[in-house]
Amino acid sequence: MFKNYFLIAYRNVVRHKGFSFLNIAGLALGLTACLLIGLFVYDEQQYDQFVPQGEQIYRVGTQRLQGETTESTPMSPPMFATSLQQELPEVEKAVRIMSLQSKNLFRVGSKSLYEEHGFFADADLFKVLHLPFRYGSAAQALAKPSSIVLSEAMAERFFGPINPVGQQIKLDTSTFQVTGVLRNRDLKFHLNINFLLQLSPAVIGIPEKRMQSWGWRQFNTYAKLRPGADGRNVAAKFQHYLEEKVKPQLAKDNIEYTAFFQPLREVYLHSADFKINWATHGNITYVRALSVIAGFILLIACFNFVNLATAKSMQRAKEVGIRKTIGASQPQLMLQFLAETVLLTLISVVLSTVLTALLLPSLNRFTGKSLSFDLIANPGLLALLLGLTLVVGLVAGFYPALVLSSFKPVKVLKSTVVTDGPLGRVQWLRHGLIVVQFALSVFLIICAIVVFQQVSYLHNKNLGFNKDQIMFFPMRGDSMTKNYEAFKNELSQAPGVASATIGYGFPGDMVAGDQIIVPINGEPKKFSVTQLLVDYDYLKTLGLQLVAGRNFSKELKTDKDQAFILNETAVRDLGFATPEKALGQTLQWNIWNNKNPDSTKTGKVIGVVKDFHYKSLYDKLEPAVLQIFPDAYWKVAVKLKGENLGAGVESVKQVWSKFSPNYPIEYKFMDDNFDEMYQAEDKLKTLLWTFTGIAIFVGCLGLFGLATYAAERRKKEIGIRKVLGASVSDIVALLSKEFLALVLVAAVIAFPAAWLAMSTWLQDFAYRIDLPLWAFGAAGLAAAAVAFLTVGYQAVRAATANPVNHLRAN
Amino acid sequence: MIKIENLEKIYRTEEVQTKALNNVSLAVSEGEFVAIMGPSGCGKSTLLNILGLLDEPDGGRFAFAGTEVAKASERRRAELRKQHIGFVFQSFNLIEELTVFENVELPLIYLGVGAAERQEKVAQVLEKMQIMHRRNHFPQQLSGGQQQRVAVARAVVNSPRLILADEPTGNLDSSNGNEVMELLTELNETGTTIVMVTHSEHDARYAHRVIRLLDGAVVLENLHQPFTA
Ligand SMILES: Nc1ncnc2c1ncn2[C@@H]1O[C@H](COP(=O)(O)OP(=O)(O)OP(=O)(O)O)[C@@H](O)[C@H]1O
Ligand SMILES: [Mg+2]
Repeated sequence: MFKNYFLIAYRNVVRHKGFSFLNIAGLALGLTACLLIGLFVYDEQQYDQFVPQGEQIYRVGTQRLQGETTESTPMSPPMFATSLQQELPEVEKAVRIMSLQSKNLFRVGSKSLYEEHGFFADADLFKVLHLPFRYGSAAQALAKPSSIVLSEAMAERFFGPINPVGQQIKLDTSTFQVTGVLRNRDLKFHLNINFLLQLSPAVIGIPEKRMQSWGWRQFNTYAKLRPGADGRNVAAKFQHYLEEKVKPQLAKDNIEYTAFFQPLREVYLHSADFKINWATHGNITYVRALSVIAGFILLIACFNFVNLATAKSMQRAKEVGIRKTIGASQPQLMLQFLAETVLLTLISVVLSTVLTALLLPSLNRFTGKSLSFDLIANPGLLALLLGLTLVVGLVAGFYPALVLSSFKPVKVLKSTVVTDGPLGRVQWLRHGLIVVQFALSVFLIICAIVVFQQVSYLHNKNLGFNKDQIMFFPMRGDSMTKNYEAFKNELSQAPGVASATIGYGFPGDMVAGDQIIVPINGEPKKFSVTQLLVDYDYLKTLGLQLVAGRNFSKELKTDKDQAFILNETAVRDLGFATPEKALGQTLQWNIWNNKNPDSTKTGKVIGVVKDFHYKSLYDKLEPAVLQIFPDAYWKVAVKLKGENLGAGVESVKQVWSKFSPNYPIEYKFMDDNFDEMYQAEDKLKTLLWTFTGIAIFVGCLGLFGLATYAAERRKKEIGIRKVLGASVSDIVALLSKEFLALVLVAAVIAFPAAWLAMSTWLQDFAYRIDLPLWAFGAAGLAAAAVAFLTVGYQAVRAATANPVNHLRAN
Repeated sequence: MIKIENLEKIYRTEEVQTKALNNVSLAVSEGEFVAIMGPSGCGKSTLLNILGLLDEPDGGRFAFAGTEVAKASERRRAELRKQHIGFVFQSFNLIEELTVFENVELPLIYLGVGAAERQEKVAQVLEKMQIMHRRNHFPQQLSGGQQQRVAVARAVVNSPRLILADEPTGNLDSSNGNEVMELLTELNETGTTIVMVTHSEHDARYAHRVIRLLDGAVVLENLHQPFTA
């Protein structure tokens, strides 16, 4: 019996080639999109799942209220781990890590390479986060100050494919001994660990006392709770402890924060808007958006099925009638029709697995992932696909099967056109489904346009400084840092170089937050600001604009120790009414100095620069104070002349090797640095356009099929109309009107939804475009145009055919 | 075999009500060959559809093989239909996606007959209809007469007790038409009851009895000698 169903189903698929092609193509494309998105989303959700007892582990960060929004960061002070461990019995173990932040030069024998992604970690790190080891063991891995744990990749770079445990490796001038190699090449872990050093004041190079700090938020803290302990309770208890014991102390320094416990399983996907985050992270919003789009596309493809199948019911009504007079029961007929959809779905699924396998390498290149799609190695996936076939086939096939199998034989056998009864309802349903399809498409088009606009805005907004042709690198080696003035002089005079500046606090790079003290009526008032520690050529090199006062001057000896420049936001925040009024105001700063922590620098505001975006456009402009402070000089920015960048880079390299021959130069261009900040948005943009395209295309396949059937069904009517004198355009209008009306309804539904979704998305950006109203018009028009072209083709064909043929045939 | 009394059928559309059958009473006994005649629109097809349990009457009584079926459920009627009734239409109504063999096989499949037995029965009836050599052709590859032979084969393959034919020769030329009438006669001679709607006096002569309808009512029943060739 089943064999018979499938045989007939097969014949029908082959016989109605056009219909089958539209269904299969649409569904295969839709399924491919879904599979690719599914693989990506699944992979994103696998992060940190391997960590044993992960549900008991929390990352303890800090947050504070900034106006309306809470600003969260995984950063915490060193005392978090200490107090969690000591004060809360529910905490089994708490550990800290700290990033080395910059790249470091390692040497083994004659081999020397820069390595990044290094961390200091408490020796007990692996008691909380059980990371797998390739060589060595977790127990003693970070026991000594000279211990170093390497990633598989780094171990291979220096030692080749052998076990390097016990070998020595030099970091700058210190020697470390390899105690272990992590098995982390494809590990889905939120920290991209390249090497680990012991976290101790001696290794970091800080005074012991700093580890007792509550204000120095430079660590990530992980706490493992005892089995059965409730995370929320522990968090509340810790909060209480902070309120009682720590808050008053912090208030003196004008620091305010609360602790928050983030479950380990949420760390990867739910940290996208965190400030200062070393961890690699995904973005739950984008994961959700992609899942929704995948659902949309599958829905559109399924609707095609329903629509085409019910449209075709005209043709098949007679067959149903005959089968019923011969003795077929409704369930038997339903099974037959379901067999057909399941067969079509099966073909689509097979096709889409092939397509997915073909496209996966591109997706991997695009996302930087190494997703695999191996049905043999992964029988679960195979089962899922078969399940999907059944579900899609049954869901998409059920309604048409029900309608078709419920035809009354007397009615359908008698007439050639069947319009009453269930078919009236079918028409209604079909229109409903087209409306939904188009609403989804219009929605996606609007989102794609808005995202495109916002991304271009991010890339092209005037940032208030000129980031073009600026080479950017850190100084290396004593001979360079000690002679920074000579180094800078030679750089400035090198051919192809326009100007050079050395400092700490460049756009797109790390900046230091610290306090500035404003004596108001003799009372010192502290403000949190960004400290940009610069030299005399900072303004010139970056092309910053002064709105009041003057730049730092080498000629004036007092500028080095007694002068500050503010940005406009600082003028406002510190309470100076206008840039002009800010000039001459006194400011004080606690000098960064290991020997004498209490020394202060007192000076006057000599200038105000126009606000410029030294952070990404996610962040609101913050008050910034610029001052000369050579002790912190670290990074170099070199503005090259326009004519020949290559030559400029060459001459910078030459100067570098004169001062630091032992270190290779490692540079970036500042504008690239900025572009990288918006990678996630760039990718979102590309994905949205791709999948919106697919969604629209799949929808069009269905519409094309419907238009074909509509033209087919009305052949005779069109013939008569033409004989009576209707023109081609009359006929085209007649056939297109219906579909265009549906697009209109779809647009009305899609607009508010898109408006809501996109204004929510834009909220994430401190600097954003206004929701472009034209996007709505454009999306509506685009959908209408696509619909018109799709339907119009069939309409014109029907309208230009010779009417006599159809009239005679009937 | 069939006994109907005061049968009524009313078609209601928005504007008009059509009384397609008005107080029709008649009986057909087992083994009879009855022709129904009358002008176009007098209700012949309507009557035949009700007799074939494809349609429900609006009033009156209808006993089929001794059981009352005027108000039977769709399911019950479908069951009786597939067990006992075969249909032949003017427009053949073969399924275009299926071959000759498969078209004829279909009623047996719905009856749940096993594959081997189906094979045998279909072959038998195709032989009898002299269409065996076309068993793997599709309907559109056949002439009208051949198509109607297939339709008859399909109607009789499950050995129904009753065959209902609605203008079976309407689309055929006279020689093909005669062939089909011969087939029906042969079937009748082996015991199958036949009710046939026709416009042709010539065809009606093959029947034992003619029932004439006018405006939904029986106006005349006349017996005449079975036509023998
Ligand atoms: N579905 C329907 N809805 C409304 N009226 C109908 C319907 N089917 C048939 N009729 C009407 O019922 C009457 C009888 O129709 P029927 O088809 O039984 O005629 P017929 O005798 O078979 O005619 P013909 O010889 O032309 O086939 C006609 O007046 C017809 O218009
Ligand atoms: Mg008729």
